[in-house]
Amino acid sequence: MKVGFIGLGVMGRPMAGHLQRAGHELFVWARRPESTAGLAATVCATPAELGRRCAVVFTVITSSADVEGVALGPDGLIEGMAPESVLVDCSTIAPETARHIAARLAEKGIALLDAPVSGGAQGAIDATLAIMAGGDAAVLERVRPLLACLGQRIVYVGPNGAGQVAKACNQMIMVAAIQAVAEAMRLAGAAGVDCGRVKQALAGGSAASRVLDVMGERMVRRDFAAGIEARLHHKDFGLVQEAARRSGVAVPLTAVVAQQLNTLMAQGWGRDDTASLLRVLEAA
Amino acid sequence: MKVAFLGLGIMGRPMALNLIKGGHAVTVWARRPASMQPLLDAGATAAAGPAEAARGQDLVISMVADAPDVAQVMRGVAAGAAPGLVAVDMSTIAPAAARRIGEELAAAGVDFLDAPVSGGEVGAIAGTLSIMVGGSEAAFARALPAFSCIGKNVVHVGASGAGQVTKAANQIVTGMGVLAVAEAYAFAAKNGVDRSKVREALLGGFAYSKILENHGQRMLDRNFKPGFKSWMHEKDLNIVMQTAHELGLCLPGSAATAQMFNAMVGSGLGEEDSIAVLKLLERLSGQE
Repeated sequence: MKVGFIGLGVMGRPMAGHLQRAGHELFVWARRPESTAGLAATVCATPAELGRRCAVVFTVITSSADVEGVALGPDGLIEGMAPESVLVDCSTIAPETARHIAARLAEKGIALLDAPVSGGAQGAIDATLAIMAGGDAAVLERVRPLLACLGQRIVYVGPNGAGQVAKACNQMIMVAAIQAVAEAMRLAGAAGVDCGRVKQALAGGSAASRVLDVMGERMVRRDFAAGIEARLHHKDFGLVQEAARRSGVAVPLTAVVAQQLNTLMAQGWGRDDTASLLRVLEAA
Repeated sequence: MKVAFLGLGIMGRPMALNLIKGGHAVTVWARRPASMQPLLDAGATAAAGPAEAARGQDLVISMVADAPDVAQVMRGVAAGAAPGLVAVDMSTIAPAAARRIGEELAAAGVDFLDAPVSGGEVGAIAGTLSIMVGGSEAAFARALPAFSCIGKNVVHVGASGAGQVTKAANQIVTGMGVLAVAEAYAFAAKNGVDRSKVREALLGGFAYSKILENHGQRMLDRNFKPGFKSWMHEKDLNIVMQTAHELGLCLPGSAATAQMFNAMVGSGLGEEDSIAVLKLLERLSGQE
């Protein structure tokens, strides 16, 4: 199948590679042409051109505004994609933006699947991403073979926007857990107890979690080089809080964690790993 | 002075009336024509839109709901303005949005002031609002005769956006202040202590504040009529939290307070005064 891919960053590049290895013909567009270097793919001049040539297009882009620009802006996908074609947006954006893009594309008969992913760069490389899909269930079935190249757990959550809501929930739980681990490590360290031993002891009990495993280990080793850049979690927390606000829901813990992320940004650690929440506590 | 006033809601209407009482020649425009009638009865002239309202004026003032409304109204003003006009927005919007609007107007030769107010409907009627102003010294001087009809405590805080920064700071203090008084009351009541006695005792000490005195009394009276609606306070705290997010600023107290206001709006208390946060606290602690 002719598959388009836009957004060849830390996540997108390995994802595009998996699709190609599965035998699909790959078309790419990038704002910075150097991003496409070393890819055995057809480089298109605009998103519109890429849209004209592909039955399914993937996007993995950082901000809501950029996704909207690529999809609906001048020379955007909407100008090229044919009726019945599918845009699979794997970016993490506001549920509202996803719904808005879906409605505009639908006017031209183009389907949107909001399909944000969880699992980080390693999950993208290993093709073990969790994929949470919002949109038409039949559309998901049509592109499921493609998604199966990228991840193992593919869940249909609900109509457009529902995938993004699920991703927001994912981020709330995960980053709050990172904060909890950071606070535990901070307490252990300040009390003169070996953090590595504490982590080892907890791993067998009720506090065991993947975040404790992965992020706790980074904190113990004081390895703050990015797995996922903390600035992306900071961005996501902006989306989560806005979604909570629109729904009139109190999210007190999320709000406090968001302040810790704001502090992290102020300290200049946005391009480091979110394990840096430990350093935020140490700075106080 | 010839002044156009755009936006005649709960705040705008009495403010425009005070300008007329102050002897200024006032032209008005509002989205809903019916809102203009009381002003026309008081001697104002009606305009068909912001552009027409701005034509031939010394000063244009807007008082509308949110940043997109301000931007739209001011685009009209720019279209109708002669160079040298001073445009003042007295709505509460994000500092970044105010700066952007200021830049757009500057390109059209219009001087812009952000001049949000504090003091509520009561202050608007009495002409005793606090006005916090951002923008150039020259524009401030030209707008001052109008400001002095509307408010008492008029402070030129700094450059463009500084007025909105000050208003956001005001909403941090008042938002947390109202929540602090409500929490103190909930604490006293759960301990079986008379809240009115607590208030009386605290008024003499370092916990004294206007909020404890006024809002605290209204909480005792269980008078939740606005005043200042909690959905508006929620909106303002959202400006605070978004700005903190953009700047990388740690505001844990404001963050917690904003969540309480989210819950108020979500649970149907949005149209009540912000002191209804007491009701939310009582509900959470089983004190209803």
